[in-house]
Amino acid sequence: MPVVEADPDELRRLTGHTEKSDDELKDDLFALGLEFEGETPEGDFELEFAPDRLDRLSVTGIARSLRYQYGDERGVYVPDTASPEWTIQVEDSVPDSRPYVSGAVVRDVNLSREALDALIQLQEKLHATMGRGRAKGAIGIHDVTMLRGEPMYAVGESGDAGEATGKKVTYRGVEPDGDTFVALDDDAERTPAGVLESHPTGQEYADLVEGEERYPAIYDDIGLFSFPPVINSRRTEVTTDSRDLFVELTGTDQWTLDKMCAIVCYALDARGGQIEDVTVEYPGRTVVRPDFEVREKRVAHERIETTLGIELDPEATVDYFERAGLDAEIIGLDGGTGYEVSVPPYRTDVLHAVDLVDDVGRAYGFNELVPRYPDVSTVGGRSESSRFERALRSRLVGLGFEDLLNFHMTNKAENYERMRVTEGADILGGGEAATIAEPYSEDYTMLRTWVLPSLLMVLENNTHREYPQDLSEVGFAAEVEESLETKVAERQSVGGVLARHDASYEDAKARLQALVAGFDAELETPATEHPSFIDGRVADVVIDGESVGVIGEIHPAVLVEHDLEVPVVGFEFSADALAE
Amino acid sequence: MEAASAAEAQPISELADAAGIAVETATGAAFELESEGYLDVHEHTERSASLTEEGETYLDAGLPEVRLYEAALGADADEDAVPMGEVIGRSGLEGPEVDIALSNYARKGYGAVDSGEITADPGITTDDDAEAAALAAIAAGGEPSEDIVDALERRGLIEVSERTVRSVELTEAGAEAVEEGVEAAAGADRLTPEMLATGAWETAEFTEYNVEADASRDIPGKTHVLRETAENVKDVLVGMGFQEMEGPHVDADFYINDCLFMPQDHPARNHWDRFALSNPTEMDELPSDLVDAVESAHRNGVGADGEGYHSPWDEDFARALALRGHTTSLSVRYLSGLAAGELEPPQRYFSIGKAYRNDTLDATHLLEFFQIEGWVMAEDLSVRDLMGTFEEFYRQFGITDVQFKPHYNPYTEPSFELFGRHPETGELIEIGNSGMFRPEMLEPLGIEADVMAWGLALERLLMLITGAEDIRDVHGTLCDIEFLRNAEVNY
Repeated sequence: MPVVEADPDELRRLTGHTEKSDDELKDDLFALGLEFEGETPEGDFELEFAPDRLDRLSVTGIARSLRYQYGDERGVYVPDTASPEWTIQVEDSVPDSRPYVSGAVVRDVNLSREALDALIQLQEKLHATMGRGRAKGAIGIHDVTMLRGEPMYAVGESGDAGEATGKKVTYRGVEPDGDTFVALDDDAERTPAGVLESHPTGQEYADLVEGEERYPAIYDDIGLFSFPPVINSRRTEVTTDSRDLFVELTGTDQWTLDKMCAIVCYALDARGGQIEDVTVEYPGRTVVRPDFEVREKRVAHERIETTLGIELDPEATVDYFERAGLDAEIIGLDGGTGYEVSVPPYRTDVLHAVDLVDDVGRAYGFNELVPRYPDVSTVGGRSESSRFERALRSRLVGLGFEDLLNFHMTNKAENYERMRVTEGADILGGGEAATIAEPYSEDYTMLRTWVLPSLLMVLENNTHREYPQDLSEVGFAAEVEESLETKVAERQSVGGVLARHDASYEDAKARLQALVAGFDAELETPATEHPSFIDGRVADVVIDGESVGVIGEIHPAVLVEHDLEVPVVGFEFSADALAE
Repeated sequence: MEAASAAEAQPISELADAAGIAVETATGAAFELESEGYLDVHEHTERSASLTEEGETYLDAGLPEVRLYEAALGADADEDAVPMGEVIGRSGLEGPEVDIALSNYARKGYGAVDSGEITADPGITTDDDAEAAALAAIAAGGEPSEDIVDALERRGLIEVSERTVRSVELTEAGAEAVEEGVEAAAGADRLTPEMLATGAWETAEFTEYNVEADASRDIPGKTHVLRETAENVKDVLVGMGFQEMEGPHVDADFYINDCLFMPQDHPARNHWDRFALSNPTEMDELPSDLVDAVESAHRNGVGADGEGYHSPWDEDFARALALRGHTTSLSVRYLSGLAAGELEPPQRYFSIGKAYRNDTLDATHLLEFFQIEGWVMAEDLSVRDLMGTFEEFYRQFGITDVQFKPHYNPYTEPSFELFGRHPETGELIEIGNSGMFRPEMLEPLGIEADVMAWGLALERLLMLITGAEDIRDVHGTLCDIEFLRNAEVNY
């Protein structure tokens, strides 16, 4: 879960509760669902947050939630917006992979060092979450005073250009080497392709645009000032002296961009900023942004009572909605009482009535609810295979085995080569491996096809421990089987090894006999060949007439390969051979 | 008695060897014989000494005062007094060794230290230093005189241990008895079948054993400690009315994630977190009605004001095969009716199965671990029922004072992280994740009733209860079998 940094002093200031101690703040934040993880060297709180409330990615957003929780603020708040002066014009040349745009202008923002850092943190966290690593949406923030918009003119009645009606920037596609600009934290003019190659940020996000014929770029009258989703120009860099900001967003989904834009606007509004609309001109349609639409959703009163398990007054319920930052109106719904609830635009998580119930619960305080054991009667039980396995393990333990629980993931060297087995051979352990596409490491690249290699590895890791070592495992093994639904045949396999200075075939056979006899099955062990075992000292395990495994003395080459200095005898067979 | 001699006292251990009996038996026999006047038992204390670490250092480098003397000679302190600083510098002594050297220098007659100057008495051979010689002797296994040993012990250069050695010799009466022939049967070492058959047991006297002594180690067969915990959890859940689920480890992403209302571009669904398979790669077919219903939920939500995700949907991705990242795929298979037929409320189901996460492998994380998963279906369930159910579960493991922190999962709402007090440290720690399944998940599966669910890693529960610190000890091939052998049985 991601972590956001918040200065507790800022929280105290922004909520107007300077009397709160650090511990009190932590408790209040915990009730909101923000868990304290630690402190930065500067004394900021590190808070683990959940990705349903992305408005809490900034300290202003957290402060707003706290103010609602304290009851100092209630109901929906939407900032006023001024009418648009700027237009973002989207040209046909924009790459198909990144067609959408959103944005806003924010004026008179107070940007202290802390506020600017918080803004950058918000931007980065939005990129990482909703923005899906900038692939789905990317935000560029610029100093408006460094932009020179292309003048736009109203067309006069005679068809000539009339008076200037506004300024525009254009979002277009540019050839990889089609133009140059100086990027942030850079000192030379580079082409977009050059930035991808030489600039650290360019290298990091290169794979989001590489392979396209044209790269996304935003231009003003001077030139290229934004190369989304990669980097801004140095020319429009935002500093603590900036007061008027131009916010642009580009990406693959309009709704996602609009929500990210709304969250940024709310954060800047909390810093004294005045939001100003921008016009977005797509080829064929025009929209105004930011989108501060307040949506209405309805929920039945009964549903709230049932889900929370308490009785509530409608008036009290309206109060809880308002304390969650929503507005609610009591209505008739489905023959009973209900609520029409207004949801502000920074809420990305309200998809269904249940989300409204959750808000009421949080405002009420879930820890105020008294737990009760439900009056629901059901009969419990283990599955048959679970009961069988327990009996099988019990018998093995009774025969003196140390019951093991080994990893299911392994690699080809361990599973095949070190056992002198070839993948695909028609012998125990030779089955085709189910392999992992992007393994964590080369030690864990496939599912094991049999259990004996795991037992030998445990022997290998424990040569400093007292002998005799009698190890067993009733465990998962799998191999590819195309005819099945999941194309992998999964089974429980029983394996046992006896390691001691005088281990002999007879020792293993004695244990196997006792094990099989306990399940009232017939055991035969006709001679066979298997490369992991000594020729002439290995047999098929045949239970009730079916060949299900192998038993024998492990081949010295295998022992030496595993750094073992004592002989080892062992067996393995499919567990369900003994099940009824 | 036959092994003992009248001529000389012999240690009991030697006699026991000669007689072929255990030392404990011989000791017991000796005291008994002494009380009957056949043996004399002598006790003496044997001291043995061994060098401490400091002692070893001086054995190699030389005693500090000796080094000081040699440095002093080198600075011609036998002719004139030399400033101390110069001599100390020469000697290479540092820190506490300087004080040690100075405090022993004069005492042993190497010279004098006065007003910051040092003199050396000429003509002393450092090889004659008794203490150094004693150190060397002890290191070689010899036994120097007691005074020196005390001095070395006081300086902390050796450790002296004592043990009691008993030796016996025959008395006159004993020697006579041996000549006449002692009946061995009088003191029986062991009850034998023959004695039982002949009735000889009636007159036999069994020698006393040293019953307090430790016996040699027995290594029993043993259930794996984590399996044992799993069985305990199953006992508790079965006792609370839960039925066990089963299902595949390799499954389609459809059942692992899509049916759980996880958007296809959710960060956890990329290869950084999940183990997609390269062979085989995808399931051939998914039930088309179910796919349509799930796709519709993703795109449009469910219910009158429902909203879906603004995320891409691709059926090919849904069919991709992976190792399940959680066992909630089993819950999906059961709730959808595929695993156990259509389910009507009330139902309680659980599973304890392997889940696989491409996370990391260290002292607190594994790539594959056991997830405890449980859910309850009933007509009307509330958050209070959820709290009551899972509080009861933890109570049975001694974890009380469970707190519910509001949380978020894509497939439950409301959701809670559970925190409980550690049974030993009293610290508040995370012990599980829970919530009410969302309608967007249940409706496509055909469920109209409420379902609440909860999960927790089995290893976490075990480590809480037992205080184990490294997860690799309790699960997997990197285990130390001695840890497993010694793990306390838990019930």
